[in-house]
Amino acid sequence: MRKPRVRRATVAAATVVGLAAVVSTGCGSDSGSGSGSDGGVTTLTFAASTFGDPGRGPQLQEWIDEFNASQDEIRVEAASVPYPTFGQTVLTQMGGGEGPDLVRFDMPEFEAASDAGLIAPLDDLIDVSEYDLLEQPDQFMVHDDVRHGIIFEASNYAMFYNADLIPEPPTTYDAFFETAQALTSGDVFGLAFRQTEAEEAGVWQDIFNYVYGFGGAWSDGENLTINSPENLEGLQAYKDLYDANVIPRGADAATFRRMFAEGKVAMELNNGGYATHLRAESPDLNFNVAPIPFPERSQGAILAPIVINEASSAKDEAATFIQWALEPENQVSLQEILGASSVATATERTPESLQELPFLPTFDELTDSSLPQIVLGFEAQTPDIRKIVVQNVIAALQGTVDLQTALDTAQEQATELVG
Amino acid sequence: MNRLHIGLTLRIVAVLAVMGIAVFPLYWMFVTALSSDADLFASEARLWPDFSQFGVFVDALAEGETVRWLRNSLVIAVGTTAMSIGLGIPLGYALSRFSFRGKVLTTVVLLLTQMLPEALMVVPLFSLFNRFDLLDSLIGLILANSAFVLPIVALILKGAIDGIPRELEEAGRVDGARPLTMLVRINVPLIAPSIAAAAVIAFFHAWNEFVFAVTFIYAPETQPASVGIASFIGEVGTPVQTVMAVAFMFTLPAVAFYLFAQKYVVAGMTAGAVKG
Repeated sequence: MRKPRVRRATVAAATVVGLAAVVSTGCGSDSGSGSGSDGGVTTLTFAASTFGDPGRGPQLQEWIDEFNASQDEIRVEAASVPYPTFGQTVLTQMGGGEGPDLVRFDMPEFEAASDAGLIAPLDDLIDVSEYDLLEQPDQFMVHDDVRHGIIFEASNYAMFYNADLIPEPPTTYDAFFETAQALTSGDVFGLAFRQTEAEEAGVWQDIFNYVYGFGGAWSDGENLTINSPENLEGLQAYKDLYDANVIPRGADAATFRRMFAEGKVAMELNNGGYATHLRAESPDLNFNVAPIPFPERSQGAILAPIVINEASSAKDEAATFIQWALEPENQVSLQEILGASSVATATERTPESLQELPFLPTFDELTDSSLPQIVLGFEAQTPDIRKIVVQNVIAALQGTVDLQTALDTAQEQATELVG
Repeated sequence: MNRLHIGLTLRIVAVLAVMGIAVFPLYWMFVTALSSDADLFASEARLWPDFSQFGVFVDALAEGETVRWLRNSLVIAVGTTAMSIGLGIPLGYALSRFSFRGKVLTTVVLLLTQMLPEALMVVPLFSLFNRFDLLDSLIGLILANSAFVLPIVALILKGAIDGIPRELEEAGRVDGARPLTMLVRINVPLIAPSIAAAAVIAFFHAWNEFVFAVTFIYAPETQPASVGIASFIGEVGTPVQTVMAVAFMFTLPAVAFYLFAQKYVVAGMTAGAVKG
């Protein structure tokens, strides 16, 4: 039986109708993205993963509202991007010539974005000499004499412990290990850290403290040193804790942090941002903070710069917001919201803050020994190196391979990657 | 008699076991949403909901965000289903009934599109959508989702149309029916179960879709529920009960749509089964 042949005219007509439908629906899109101007008011979008935090998000929104109240021609709106995919989503948007006008990045994504030319240089937009910027964290905002960001939040890592379970915090790794072992019983665990590939960025943040705390480093600035003896020692300490079953294996950060709040986890290494969240969510929890008890006083820090999107059509207005944020009174307000984190400039802790969070000086004293969780000398490739290292370390945790071999493999793969 | 009873009991147990496996995740979400913090991390899991915690649902709905997310998801899912079925029927019909140059290639290309992960298409689609002002738009998401689900819908419907005897169309043609009439009057009623099944696939795809939604949508007003739920996962904390409560509510419209579509699947399968 002969099949009927479709007429070309029919196909052409259907194609035209289809395309017309697509174009007409496209023209009816709801709104554009990024900055916009309406009635002389320029609206900027500001993306920060912290806007979604139950503790700090609403307060940050109030802080932005203060800026909006102070301006007649500029309005800042929070762009909602979920934390788990924040970097990937915003980088994709910026790479496509779109995205928010202002972004609060974490360091690995900040480095990748600045390397790709997605961030506007700030030198001609903001005169930083007017502000007393904290030198240690601020040095990472400048690449080849070009400033790409201003510190929005700098949060040092320290040891959080349940003061009801641990009257005196351990001061050495051996004591740390013994405390974790002694307190692990039934549904209570002595320690918690991230150990699954699903939390790649989190595992990287956690193992960073072990590597640097045992005198190691991911690089010497020119070459990768992933499999150095110091790194092996630090990561062996991390693995020993995993093998000792003193952590709730398989629990993600959200789960074990709730367990900490419920008194089911005795210790965890975390950054200052956590303190405010913990106090807000669990006001009755008796917790305290001490430096991480590893051989070297060197730990990670969450550095979160605020940057201006190179694709933004309202860079001057975005710079106005950053300048407003750098004003001393607004820095203090921001500091109060962020709690144990630091901001771009040196600020005085208020007596109220010190009363509520008496361990704030502990965090502040760690600023000089804290480092952003990037691979120095290979900043832009940090996300890729991170992936390689985390994959191999987790393989070692799971017993697929011994730790030395895992680090050797990571070294080889990462060296091949960076060329 | 006893043997009959044993057989019936075994069948009931088997059905309950399968239902349990299917329904348990939903039930567990409900129980977790209605658990106190202490219950969540107790040494023994709580198996029954604590209705004194029901406020978590009320709070989730009271803020208005959840309702807005669900409404946006519904618009995207219904739009995607309508567009993919609307375009998939003629495409499936053309692939099944007409011979034209490049037909095999078209079918292969349709299959190939199903082998591309969404993440691979995010950047080029973002660029394209940016050019056509489709970002931050529900219509844009409907188009993106339809583009991804249309091939599978078309192939399902092609298979269904392949199974319809050509003689039925020949009879229609003798009576002067045009291809469009034959498609609408003869084929569509007969492939209704397949249309319902394809609609379920399209609806579920769009309802659950996350990668395009999180990248193409900026404004909180246009976020669907898949992105909204993810926004609860914070850098330092996640309100587990709230996530579970919203996730539970998120599953209900999809289940409702499935039950609605399933009626047509069953009706289509039994249509004509009894001859007079």
